[in-house]
Amino acid sequence: MKPRTIAYYFRQAVISMGRNTGMSIAAALTVAIALFILGSFLLLVTNANFIAGVLESNVEIAAYLDVDMPRKDAEQMAQQVAAMDLVADVRLVPKEEGLNQLRKQFGDRHDLLSALGGVNPLPDYLKIKVTEPEGVRAVAEAVAGLEGVEKVNYGELVVYRLFSVIYWVRWLGLGSMILLSLSAVFLVAITVRLTVFARRREINIMKYVGATDWFIRWPFFLEGMFLGLTGALVAVASLYGTYQFLVSNIGPALPFVPLVTDSLTVMRHLAWLLLAGTAVGALGSAISVHRFLKV
Amino acid sequence: MIQFINVSKVYPNGNKALADVSFQVDKGEFVFLVGPSGAGKSTVIRMMFREELPTRGQIMIGGKSILRLRRSEIPILRRNMGVVFQDYRLLSDRTAYENIAFAMQVVEAAPWEIRERVPQVLEMVGLSHRADHYPHQLSGGEQQRVAIARAIVNNPRILVADEPTGNLDAETSWQIIHLLNEINKRGTTIVVATHNREIVTTMRKRVLTLEGGALVRDVERGTVRREA
Ligand SMILES: Nc1ncnc2c1ncn2[C@@H]1O[C@H](COP(=O)(O)OP(=O)(O)OP(=O)(O)O)[C@@H](O)[C@H]1O
Ligand SMILES: [Mg+2]
Repeated sequence: MKPRTIAYYFRQAVISMGRNTGMSIAAALTVAIALFILGSFLLLVTNANFIAGVLESNVEIAAYLDVDMPRKDAEQMAQQVAAMDLVADVRLVPKEEGLNQLRKQFGDRHDLLSALGGVNPLPDYLKIKVTEPEGVRAVAEAVAGLEGVEKVNYGELVVYRLFSVIYWVRWLGLGSMILLSLSAVFLVAITVRLTVFARRREINIMKYVGATDWFIRWPFFLEGMFLGLTGALVAVASLYGTYQFLVSNIGPALPFVPLVTDSLTVMRHLAWLLLAGTAVGALGSAISVHRFLKV
Repeated sequence: MIQFINVSKVYPNGNKALADVSFQVDKGEFVFLVGPSGAGKSTVIRMMFREELPTRGQIMIGGKSILRLRRSEIPILRRNMGVVFQDYRLLSDRTAYENIAFAMQVVEAAPWEIRERVPQVLEMVGLSHRADHYPHQLSGGEQQRVAIARAIVNNPRILVADEPTGNLDAETSWQIIHLLNEINKRGTTIVVATHNREIVTTMRKRVLTLEGGALVRDVERGTVRREA
């Protein structure tokens, strides 16, 4: 393709968008809305994954021992666990310390504890750290199988819940995205169809004087791709703005929720949206070119 | 240059437009295609630039069958053939100059070629002084001359015209025919479908007569026979 031919295609595409301003804006906006929602879900899932990862790598295992286990046996048990694979560190937390922690948590309401009448109902427990997050489950299960271990707790539940949320968010995102993308494709197709219609005389003459099929088609493809890309740019800009706003305003209020704040990572995700928008536009124009541009 | 061999055409709706039509037009000829309304003149013209395909028979242009052309070869055929219609088919939002330049742009001619060639053909059709006029600012005859300029700007070897004078008065019609004759003298093969008896009779060119889809006469230096 010669540069002047490419320049010609671009000029024609821009002229067409200028002619059907209303439809062009509607189509680009639909693309923008679809991609905004897609992008929101993308960021949501990215963050949920990130949070899950952070939680998972921080999890400690608490192995509660039988209430009546002698302290000596407990210490021996701690050593036994420390010798296990994947275990980085084990600390025996005596029941007295456990009670103190409870006391701190209850604060003023220590009368609740007085009701216990001096008896400590808590068991000793082992606080276990693992060498790598993937080992949590294996270690927890091994420890749970030991004689004298009453119950094992670890972050499993939180992480599991989070993953099931991510799972649903994904499906929800996918569903709404497909629906919205379809309407975006549809609107782009209608817009391009209007252009084809407005230019049918021109197309006719181009055929008589020997323009190639692709010479005739390219401006229409470009028009659709422009519409898609414009919508994507709008979506990315507003997503980026919204996200930065949320991170800087909500982030500090929820210090215990780690968020992806690295703008490079965020931008990399959003770059996909530009591609998706262009693809949606290309698909829309392809449909119209195929159906209405009989060359 | 143009060969129709036993060409028949039945339109998809069942209309029988042509039946077993054979003729040959040599390089540099000027041929009139006449016959009553519905005889199949436009169908013949449309088949020449492959707007329609025959139902049966063979069509050769420049010694090559145009029936089995690949899609990508059709533009090449059309670049070798100028087409002119009764209704001019100019783009109303472009000037005479731009309408002619458009035909060069779409075949990817260089800007310098366009700047050189368009004024040449404008002068040839006698419209240099109308270059910047839009179609609605031109008379019918002038519009048709712009259309002819557009048809020849890419130097086609063949020019086909379907009732080019159909909307014009007698004097303007003659200007158009003389222009076509001029183009023919420079070596372009020309086929003109027309109803205009006076012109055909006076010009004394070869005349192909169609009636009810059949070729009934092929006369050198012919006239139009008055039908009963
Ligand atoms: N696109 C079409 N679909 C169906 N039938 C058609 C089509 N075009 C032409 N016909 C039929 O084919 C026959 C020949 O038509 P054609 O237009 O070639 O005649 P013509 O000689 O050009 O007539 P006129 O002098 O009125 O222009 C007519 O019966 C016409 O009704
Ligand atoms: Mg006709």
